[in-house]
Amino acid sequence: MTNSINNLELVKELVSKTTTILKEENIDVQQLAFEVNTCDIHHVLSVLKSAGWKQLSYLSAVDWPDENKFEVVYILFNWDKPVYVQIRTKIDRENPSIDSILPIFPGAKYYEREAHEFFGIAFPGNPDYEKQLILEGWDDIPPLRKDFDPSAYSDRKFPSREYPQDYSVTDEKNHSLEKRAERKARAERLRTGGKKQ
Amino acid sequence: MKEMKLFLGPQHPGMHGNASVHMFVDGDIIKRSYLLPGMLHRGFEKQMERKLWVNNISLIPRVCVPEPDINEMSFATAAEKILKLEVPERAHWIRMIILELARISAHLMAYGGLGGPTGNYTLMYHAHVDRNLILDIFEKITGARVYHQYIVIGGVRQDLPDGIEEDINVFIDDLERRLVEYRDLGIDNASIVKRIKDTIMLPEEVVWELGVTGIGMRSAVNKPYDVRKVVPYARYDQVEFEVPVSDYSDARARLDIKIKEIQQSIIIIRQCLAKMPEGPVRVKPDRGQSMRWTVPKGYAYAPIESSRGEFGYYMVSNGGTSPWRVGVRGASYPQGLLGIEKYLPGTRIDDAALWVDTMGICSPEIDR
Amino acid sequence: MEEKKKYPKPSIFKPLRHLKYLFRKPVSHPLDTIFTEKNAEYLNKNNPFRKNKIKNSVPRTAPDNIRGFHVNDWEKCIGCGTCGEICPTAAIEMVPRHDLPRVAGELQQRPVIDYGRCCFCALCVDTCTTGSLSMTKEYVFADSNPDSFKLMPTETWQDQEVELGYQKTEVTDLLDLKRVEMEHIEPEERIKSYIEVVRGYSKEFAKQEAARCVECGVCTASCPVQMHIPQYIKAIWEDDIEGGLKQIYETNPLPGVCGRVCTHNCETSCAIAQRGEAIAIRWLKRYIIDSAPDEMYEKIFNEPVSEVIEAKVAIAGSGPASLSTAYYLRGLGYHVDVFEEKNRPGGVMSYGAPQYRIPDYAVEKDINFIKKIGVNIHTNTRVGTDITLEELEKKYDAVFLGTGFFAARKLNIPGSDHPDVMGAMDFLPITRDFARGAIKLDEINVKKSVVVVGGGDVAFDVARNCIRIQLEKYGKADVKLTSLETLDILPGSDDEYIEGKEEGIQFFLGNGPQEIVVKNGKIKGLRVWKCTRVFDEEGRFNPTFDSEQETLLEGEQVFFSVGQAPDYTFIPESLKDKVTIERGKVKANKDGQVEGLDWLFVGGDIFRGPDIITAVSDGHRAAVAIDDYLYTNAKKKEQSEYVKEIREAIRFNNPDLALKPTRKRTLN
Repeated sequence: MTNSINNLELVKELVSKTTTILKEENIDVQQLAFEVNTCDIHHVLSVLKSAGWKQLSYLSAVDWPDENKFEVVYILFNWDKPVYVQIRTKIDRENPSIDSILPIFPGAKYYEREAHEFFGIAFPGNPDYEKQLILEGWDDIPPLRKDFDPSAYSDRKFPSREYPQDYSVTDEKNHSLEKRAERKARAERLRTGGKKQ
Repeated sequence: MKEMKLFLGPQHPGMHGNASVHMFVDGDIIKRSYLLPGMLHRGFEKQMERKLWVNNISLIPRVCVPEPDINEMSFATAAEKILKLEVPERAHWIRMIILELARISAHLMAYGGLGGPTGNYTLMYHAHVDRNLILDIFEKITGARVYHQYIVIGGVRQDLPDGIEEDINVFIDDLERRLVEYRDLGIDNASIVKRIKDTIMLPEEVVWELGVTGIGMRSAVNKPYDVRKVVPYARYDQVEFEVPVSDYSDARARLDIKIKEIQQSIIIIRQCLAKMPEGPVRVKPDRGQSMRWTVPKGYAYAPIESSRGEFGYYMVSNGGTSPWRVGVRGASYPQGLLGIEKYLPGTRIDDAALWVDTMGICSPEIDR
Repeated sequence: MEEKKKYPKPSIFKPLRHLKYLFRKPVSHPLDTIFTEKNAEYLNKNNPFRKNKIKNSVPRTAPDNIRGFHVNDWEKCIGCGTCGEICPTAAIEMVPRHDLPRVAGELQQRPVIDYGRCCFCALCVDTCTTGSLSMTKEYVFADSNPDSFKLMPTETWQDQEVELGYQKTEVTDLLDLKRVEMEHIEPEERIKSYIEVVRGYSKEFAKQEAARCVECGVCTASCPVQMHIPQYIKAIWEDDIEGGLKQIYETNPLPGVCGRVCTHNCETSCAIAQRGEAIAIRWLKRYIIDSAPDEMYEKIFNEPVSEVIEAKVAIAGSGPASLSTAYYLRGLGYHVDVFEEKNRPGGVMSYGAPQYRIPDYAVEKDINFIKKIGVNIHTNTRVGTDITLEELEKKYDAVFLGTGFFAARKLNIPGSDHPDVMGAMDFLPITRDFARGAIKLDEINVKKSVVVVGGGDVAFDVARNCIRIQLEKYGKADVKLTSLETLDILPGSDDEYIEGKEEGIQFFLGNGPQEIVVKNGKIKGLRVWKCTRVFDEEGRFNPTFDSEQETLLEGEQVFFSVGQAPDYTFIPESLKDKVTIERGKVKANKDGQVEGLDWLFVGGDIFRGPDIITAVSDGHRAAVAIDDYLYTNAKKKEQSEYVKEIREAIRFNNPDLALKPTRKRTLN
């Protein structure tokens, strides 16, 4: 494990030399995360690639509607100095766009296409990023955005199924369950939000 | 000569799952090709965001059908990394047994899958019989044959049933004997070797260009690049096993590694059964009832060595009762999408199915 | 290409060795070993080619924990619906079953499973509150009709007794059955003063405790005021004190009191209590009240409720029933005057329950809010002497009586007329004043050793008060408690028994008092006989004693806590004939309106009893009934939209009569 700690130090040194780190996290002994400025992404990735982090394990995005940002994440890996490095950057949610990393990692081609399809992020520099990949004939907002509601989509697209089976035994005078539901609905309206933790 | 468009799949014995390889051929040489995924897209990543932490267990095994347990493991370890949750010792070993059994079953399925493109159906039947016996063991341990829903955040769902060690031992002893027969039927069978050797080569540069991992990578770079060795999870650092490699990556070499890996998995399972301590198998991630379990804010990526390569979940939590974002890094993403587009042209039509089989391309994990 | 040389030479003959498998028994399961009788019959009937070929052979037995189809033990199931809540595929629907009896702690509904959606994950089994749901080893079901895949699990699968497969174990259980430990002041410490015994939850612990709730709501029906229990617990979990406070005040204007001394029928009927420890509903309510700052109370009524309806109501007494009536009438827009004979409002809350259970500040917090919304409380004004009921009738449009049971009852046994024999309700108000410092220690008549007769919570109040006073007076406590009931049927709550025991009460349960032994004008003790039974076969109170087993409980003083009595002296002669009193209680309709006297309403102990929360519910019903009675004839009733909303809410939340849960005694 001494090795992995040295490797962590090495990555930290590499990244801090190249760019200003907005945020740094130690996920575990073999994983690090850095948040950097969007303009520095290509620089950081190429420095890391030349230092041996030549495998792009994952590329995707996270939607943060409250901050009005998309977070694009790149995960790199070096098989000889085994440390996973997450490089994250936040971009605007309106007309999101970030330059493609195709020149550095050709393997990113389909990841970028997928991120475009599911988040609507543009990747100038990737010739195919606008082609549809998985969602055939999609006619709604990109689905992994938080404001997309899949159940509303499915209600709109597909008929609902009614079962003729009825196992209920009801007594017209008995309204205890309805009353309970009404009371619950009333009480819910009194809530002032609070924060889920 | 005129270019012709051919489809491999979604209904094709050589295609694994519902995806389609579109090939533009000239004679029987592929000129251009690409994969058309999307036929199995079920919106898992979106659904995971909308389901409780505990509810996601019903969803995640379905991301990859032949080897569902890696999903559960990857999801659980990612959440445990964010939670900084220490899993009971026994649970680690049980998880390893499950994962290795799943690896054997996935390798058998892929190895048997060779029967499709090469016309040797006996191989396929035999592999499926043995896989079926693994499913019987899974059924006894987890209560289900395919979607086990067994590895959960904080350990495993319940302890091993009594007497299962005996069943596993009987099975792996038997399988070890049968491995010779598998070689005879497949990669040492003169008719098949003629068909698969020196086909669809994968040079080392291409590995780095595509980002291929797993058997594809190890067969080309001749180094033990296995997540279990390099970034050990569970207790893989406490068992002894070898990572089979090769420096000549043709279809036969990759299948050879598959058989060798089955052998290594058997060795790992034996060690697990011997070293497994007694004790609890599960800790709850949070106080309270399961529908109110939360995971603190955080990011984590949990890589797992699947039968097809590095498989991982990228998980983001904002402290709520469900994950904020779960991204699935399907192991067959590079070879399945970019590999088919960039590397298949130049080979023959009948080699496409071999690429799909020996590189391990699993369409549900590409689509999600 | 060196690598290739390492390969063994391929052979075309080696594969032929596999021919040996032609003679081996197949390891896979033949088709006819997976059909049950029913499925075989079906297939034989519907398959034109293979007539009667499919045998209903012995189906293969699945492993022990296979997740097959569900069975649900209806005897155990309480219809809580937690299975439906957790179901990841929304396959479980709760259907009403009004043929089931309506009892406390159960809902008249049962799960129906859509096997077109079910993914057999068994989370429903793992989360089942009662453990009624389990899975079987049956996993084959075939039918040509797609609608037939919606099934209601019962004790059997397809009317056949089947073996059980996956079942909940301690490891797989997804509920948290253990209560978050509540901190109590240590007995050695607390008996030295009247400090409150229960410390209350901190935010952290309250949230953890709230996280245990499954939001099923079986508790609400057994709460006399049907509080929004699951909702305010959820508010705690989500850290929304303000929302929780609003939800509580919808149905209960005395939450600070009820958060401490309620009989908590809700906890008795809690679904979690089926197998574990009930959610600490009472303490969670207290947590909301304790952590709500005074400013937050202003948000309960966004606008001050002014007197929008020109009608006046007088209320006699200021106990829980009266204050609840006053609060809701005020909310409905009436002018309300409350008359209290003592110098503090609160009735039993201020003069009955002891200070270490419910401190004054908690009572005051509740009452201050009631005062703040405009209820006038006139203390030191006794109805009947300072102001007569006839006057009230003339001056006001309606009158509510909530005078309670404030007289002590004593047993009529030899020696009970001795001056050192006291009734509980004579003694408790004194102790309460003593705790406030209004009475000096010397003025209290508590001897060095006392015997308390009675097994209810009040008896414990007396005994524990005596311990505190004795310690202060003599430095040593000696309290014996005797009751007819043995521990298994003791009417007092578990908490009281545990805490009383910790504080040093000596218990002589299961004895019937026969005589107070008096020598030379001083009490020597209480002679008791062993009680052989308390209730007869028909369940009526009819104790019998064994005179052979006689004991003398030594003590210089005897306290009787064998029930309380009303005081109806304030009812004038002119009304005496019109008010019917049966077994000490005033006869009235469900809402407390006295028959024949439309303007007179009653509630609390003198109407229904027996506890604070029932009194609050009486008050709510009476307020709505008074509104029904007065509203049509009121002279002025124009209201703003907001007041209309409040009126609607109060009328909507008018509680039904509660279902009484059967108490499961956990002590032994």
